[in-house]
Amino acid sequence: MSGGIGELVYPGNILKNIRSNKFVCIIGPGLKRNDNLPNTLIVTRVGTLRFESPNTYWVDSLQKRYIPKRGELVVGIVAKKAGATKKQKVNINVGDAVYAKLLNTYKEMEPELVCVDSYFKAGSLGVLSSEGFVFSVSLNMAHRLLSIENPLLRTLGKKYKYEIAIGMNGKVWLNCAKTVDVLKIKEAIEIAEKKSDASILNTCKKVR
Amino acid sequence: MSKLREAIISNCEKNFLLKCLKENTRLDGRSFDEFRNIKIEFGKDYGCCCVYLGETKVLAQVTGEIQIPKSSRPSEGILNINVELNPIAAPNFDPSSKNDLFTQLNRTLEKCIKDSKAIDLESLCIKMSEKVWALRVDVNVLNHMGNILDCASIAALTALCHYRRPDVTCDGEVSIIHRFDQRDPIPIVVHHYPVCITYSIFERGQFILADPTLLEEGVADSFLNVSMNAYKELCGLHLGGKAELDIDVMIKITQKVGKRAVIVVEQIKRALELENSRRSKKESIGFHNLVSNSNEIDDNFERCFDSWRITPYKKKHSSNNYDSPQLGIQENKSDKMEQRGMGSAVLIPQGFEEVNKDWGGNSEDDDADVVEIPREIPSVSLVDSDSEEETTIVLNAKEQTKKKWKK
Repeated sequence: MSGGIGELVYPGNILKNIRSNKFVCIIGPGLKRNDNLPNTLIVTRVGTLRFESPNTYWVDSLQKRYIPKRGELVVGIVAKKAGATKKQKVNINVGDAVYAKLLNTYKEMEPELVCVDSYFKAGSLGVLSSEGFVFSVSLNMAHRLLSIENPLLRTLGKKYKYEIAIGMNGKVWLNCAKTVDVLKIKEAIEIAEKKSDASILNTCKKVR
Repeated sequence: MSKLREAIISNCEKNFLLKCLKENTRLDGRSFDEFRNIKIEFGKDYGCCCVYLGETKVLAQVTGEIQIPKSSRPSEGILNINVELNPIAAPNFDPSSKNDLFTQLNRTLEKCIKDSKAIDLESLCIKMSEKVWALRVDVNVLNHMGNILDCASIAALTALCHYRRPDVTCDGEVSIIHRFDQRDPIPIVVHHYPVCITYSIFERGQFILADPTLLEEGVADSFLNVSMNAYKELCGLHLGGKAELDIDVMIKITQKVGKRAVIVVEQIKRALELENSRRSKKESIGFHNLVSNSNEIDDNFERCFDSWRITPYKKKHSSNNYDSPQLGIQENKSDKMEQRGMGSAVLIPQGFEEVNKDWGGNSEDDDADVVEIPREIPSVSLVDSDSEEETTIVLNAKEQTKKKWKK
């Protein structure tokens, strides 16, 4: 099996005829350099093979476990409260949801989060209101929801008034005035998770 | 890989769940007394079954071997129930450490199945104080989405009912274990079918939810699990958490459990019958059959999405109506309302595009107005009352006129 771009690939599949730019090829998650055969890649995950020109390859898989990556925005839940000084009083309680940026992600250490950008401004980061609701989606769905081409959130926005924070870790915080609306949007996202991008686009076109 | 911490339930989720309960809804749209669907599948081997309770999934396997009986009960077989909580069920489960949940599950299951004497252990004896059958039920939790206990009790019981032990004949000193092709294997004698049924209790018994999900379990003050058989005989009862429960509430729950137990046991029996008939017809059996059904599941998704596609229309509809909260509640209910929604979804675009673009959604209100007009009829009685007033006025006027005449 060769496994072309946009096709389903399995662990152990070998990719030949890799396109590269100035002898450089960038590989993302789910791929590894094949040491046995020069200029080939080996697949390590089940998923769809993706390619971005000129030279980037990766595998889109339905992984649920999040591996922290520096600079990504995540929704987290406060587990322990420590290190508040007199100078900096933190108005955070255990169990609060926060929208934060990953500062450090080393394998050996616990990842560090910050709620300020490089200008020390909170921006949209910080504690999320405890009025809303937090639920989990697959990592793939989080990526898809955030992609500009995905019309789902915009279409939902025509019908409902809502606030949403989507973390790259698959946690989604959602807030509406009415609980019914929250449940409806949650349901819509959960169903859309099982749908292809094309069919979501189709349905969103129908909903005016 | 390091062990993962248990996922914390955020304040958001807690508040939202309680808010929903106050509005009489549950997150998955069930009513308070509604249970998730049970699905029972059997493996190729005897005594192997997989039970789904919503998304919770448990696999049970019964194995038997011949052992020396306990000296205290020399003529009884041995039954062991062993629950395994692996990280496959939830990432924070650690198989090496036996935590509270593990002990509680194991003990409650033992109480439910073993201590209620559902299995006839004496029939498992081969030779007194020498050889008896020792059955072991391995219950593996494959996915933890709340209420493991109900799922595990169904799985363990079904697996025990499905299990067949090889026939053994005693010939003086020597006993022979016959292969399945030599002699038909023998099922275990099951006296009655006890199942565990769990309820979660919120806000000191204000809200009582059947078959809690993972989140509901986490937020609940306490839980009550009752094991009962189809004859509504109580086989075990466990109240956990910080419970403060009225006796009346307890009795009410047990009555509900009785009704539910009948349904569950019926479902178990039906599944076993179906499986046995398939086996006797020599149809292909085992979990691999489930894989080929994946296309059907896809169709289900398609239907799901249809229902979603309609809801935005409906939402629009309700936002234009005056009594939107009522509609909101109706939306949560199942299929019938969807069909009604389909009807309205077909109607809206017609009225929407043809009648008037300027007025926007007002066209949809027409229906509502038609309904409301008869309701306004009572207001006519107001007019009557007015007329009464008028009469009094007239009377007064007459009096006044009389007075005037007197004057």
